[in-house]
Parts: sequence; structure tokens; C-alpha cells
Amino acid sequence: MASSGSGYDLSSSTFSPDGRIFQIEYAAKAVENAGTALGLRCADGVVLAVEKPLVNRMLVARTTGGYTRSTSTRASRSRVSSATAGRSLTGRGRRRAITRRHHGTKIPPATLSSRISAYVHYFTLHGALRPFGASTLVAAYDTGTKRHSLHMIEPSGVCYEYYGAAAGRGRQPARTEMEKLVVNPSRVPEGGEMISVSEGVRQLAKIIHSLHDDAKDKPFELEMSWLCEGSGWKHEGVPREIIAGAVEWAKKEIENEGENDEEGDDDEDDEMEE
Amino acid sequence: MSRDSNYDHHISIFSPQGRLYQMEYAFKAASSASGLTGIALRGRDSCVVVTQRRVPDRLVVPSSVSHVHAITSRIGVLATGMTSDCHAAVQRMRYEAADFEFRYGYPMPPSSLARRMADLAQVNTQSASMRPLACVLLIVGIDDEMGPQVLKVDPAGHYLPFVGAASGSKEQEATNFLEKRVDDLKGYGLDEAVRTAIVCLGSVLGSDFRGNEIEVAFVQRGKGGGGGKFRSLTEEEIEEHLNAIADDADA
Repeated sequence: MASSGSGYDLSSSTFSPDGRIFQIEYAAKAVENAGTALGLRCADGVVLAVEKPLVNRMLVARTTGGYTRSTSTRASRSRVSSATAGRSLTGRGRRRAITRRHHGTKIPPATLSSRISAYVHYFTLHGALRPFGASTLVAAYDTGTKRHSLHMIEPSGVCYEYYGAAAGRGRQPARTEMEKLVVNPSRVPEGGEMISVSEGVRQLAKIIHSLHDDAKDKPFELEMSWLCEGSGWKHEGVPREIIAGAVEWAKKEIENEGENDEEGDDDEDDEMEE
Repeated sequence: MSRDSNYDHHISIFSPQGRLYQMEYAFKAASSASGLTGIALRGRDSCVVVTQRRVPDRLVVPSSVSHVHAITSRIGVLATGMTSDCHAAVQRMRYEAADFEFRYGYPMPPSSLARRMADLAQVNTQSASMRPLACVLLIVGIDDEMGPQVLKVDPAGHYLPFVGAASGSKEQEATNFLEKRVDDLKGYGLDEAVRTAIVCLGSVLGSDFRGNEIEVAFVQRGKGGGGGKFRSLTEEEIEEHLNAIADDADA
């Protein structure tokens, strides 16, 4: 069986004998090799966080292009992996958003995400083109329904709305961590409440820092932005002091958890002896 | 089985046996990509579509995962296969239906829409630049003259009207189930049609459902004989039907 893809994996317009399109799967792998990007939908807004590896020690931090860009003031996109692919998608997203304003209304988040996903999907159809090596997270606010939302579009063109979305290298552990946070309005535990944006900022900082292995990975910069009540539902970068505070808190939490794990191991040994 | 492995890389190449392998692989992708099964059937004055609702993970908002789409207010489609291909097909259908109504001044009949999508699908089987869309469409609507219509469009560009049709991974089992009831189906009212569709899905998957695990949608003949609106059942409405089915089974 050709499950290795040999011969069937050279073009987006070729199906393999078991009905897969390998070029799309390879594009997804390209995203998996990139730094982690996270999005979290909180009670009062959406937070985006990206781990931006500083690929070269000579690079001046904070001058490499922002991975998170505003599409319109009310929507923002953060993309993982290929810088040029991301720029092209952001540009497309911006043009879409502007066209909608000509219709007399700001583009609803679901429509914007749907248009981007259709565009991304187009590149998976033609043999002459290759799929985008980028996942896109769209955080947006619908002025009509007054509802904020988070969508993610994958290289295959699949687009869903998320409570918490992760893409890139650390997405599996990040998803596990995000599931523990209270983001699903239908699953709020008794006496609990949905996570707020300021708490979300700290949790995302913690997730990204805990996934980063100082020994193996390059040093990175944490870029965060939000779209929330506090920012007037405009997409803005999270102020640097808040990010710094969140990172400090995150590092302390990670250290504490490290210690607790060691204590926990001792306890388990005691129980087993009993 | 000789696979004529040199002939299966491109859609525009026949194998020496006269097969189009890329077309067959596209069918494979359409039926196995999502792992879901979809069923559509028509009764006396209504059409029903049913499929599973499988949310990929807990962080996804369930309402954004749906394979049932309204094309116009009166025509709906159940699209199974590769998700983004289904999405693209649905967008195209919406465009075609709106364009038809604009041009000709009356709503596009379901069969015309099916024919149009089938023609578009056929182009992809003959021209090498674009691959076939790996999705099977079950289009439902009420035609002014012909009544309830269920039409199935596949990646090859076949389209046919059915009394009952299935798509997806358990297509064959579901079709067998429906074939046994084909004479009865023609007389069913809406409730019976919905329950038959749900029972069919349950029997081919070998499991029971809860209200939030399946999607059910229907379109019923409206007043004056024309088409009514295509709409999805809410979770409560689905639960009602599930309870009725359970009661019938006990009785």
C-alpha cells in the first residue's frame, strides 16, 4: 500500500490510493515545526499568544514582523509558520474585511473566517499551487450580535470556532492545558466562572513558557494581543507591562509546580508501601 | 490486482483497462475522510437528512461543526467527505442558486442545482488542473411540480434522484436498510420519515444516540403546495423523536 505517499505526494491535485492528499498533510507538518500559537476565548474577550523564535542571535528583538496583525480594528489574525504565507493571508483577510465595510456593515467573524478558509482551500485544489504552510487564528468581535469569537483555519482549509485553539510545535500539550481552563460556557462548574481575559493572558504565558525547553529550543519572544471589553473591542497588543507581569507569574507557577511534582512522587511511594 | 500504477497519478489519464484511478481514489476520500455516514430520504410531503455530529475535540465550539447546510431557504444539503471540500461545494451551491434566481426570476429547483453541481464536478474529472472535490452531496428540497426531491451528487459528476440515499463510510449498509422500506417511504409523513432516518442511522452504526450526537434537518411542503423552509431540528426536538422511537421499540 502506498501509505508512505511515494509518488502520490508531489501535487495537491493527486489523491493517494487510500484517498488522502499528502501535500495537505505535509503542509500541516510545516506548521507543526513552527513556534506555538495559542488563542483563548474568555468571558470578556479573546487573547492571542505567539511564541516567536529569535532565529538568529544577532536579530534585534521586537523588530521582526509582528505575527499578529489586525485585519480590521475588530478582528485580528495570528499565524504560525511561513512568514510570507502568513503575510499573504493577512493581506487577503484585510481586503475581505474592507470589502464588507462597503456593504454597509462590518464583516461578521464567521463570514471572515469562512472567506479565509475558502481561499486557503483553493490552494489545495490545483496542481500548479501548493497549500499554505500556515494556520490562522482569527479573533474577532461581531458588532451585530455583540459576541466575540475565536476561529482557526488549518492548511487544509478546515475552519472551526474554538473555545481554545493551538497550532504549532506545542499544540498537543497546550490543548491539554487549555481544556483544564474554564472556557466552555456550558461546562462551568458550580460556583465557578468563566476565565477572564486578564487571567487568560497569564495562563497563556504560562503554557508557552512551560512548553519551551531552554536547552533545546531557540530563545523566543512572547507576543500577545487581545480583543476585549477593556480595549473597546479593538484588537490591540497587550501592554508590555502586563505581559512582563504575566511572564513573571508564569515562571513562578512553573517553578512551584516543579517542586510539587517532586513532593507528590514521595507521597505516592508512601501510599504504595501501605 | 494489477494497479496499473503508472496510470493513477493524473485524472486525465485512463488506465489500459479503461479506469480512471484518480476518480476512484476521490470516491475513497469522500467516503472515508470524515468517517461519518449521512442519510437522506423523502416521504409523502417532506424530505429528511440525518448524520452524526462528531465534534473533533472539546475545545471546538459544537455549533460550528455541521455537515448540514441551507443553500437557499428552501433547499438544503448534507455534504459528507473532506470538510474543506464540502465547504467549498456549499459555497458554490449558494452562489449558483442565488445567481439562478437573479437571472431567471424564480427559485432554482433542487434538480437543476444538482445538475449544475454535477456538471461542475465532471469538469474536474476531465481537466487535469483541478482535482475532484472529495465530497458527496445529498441535496433536498421541494420541487413545485415534482414534490419532495432527494438528489445525490458524487465526485464523478453523477446525479440521480432518490427515494432514499446514503453517503459516507456506511453507505452500503444504510442503502440496504432503506431498500427494504422503499415502498413504505412514499407514504410517510414528516414524523415517520424523521424516525425512519434516525433508526436507519442507528442500525448501521450499531448504537443509540443522544440528542446532541446527531444532526437532523428537513424540508416540508408548505401551504399552497410550494416548498416550505429547510431547517434543522433542535436538540430537544431530536430528543422527542428519540424517545418516541424508544417507546415504539418497547411496545
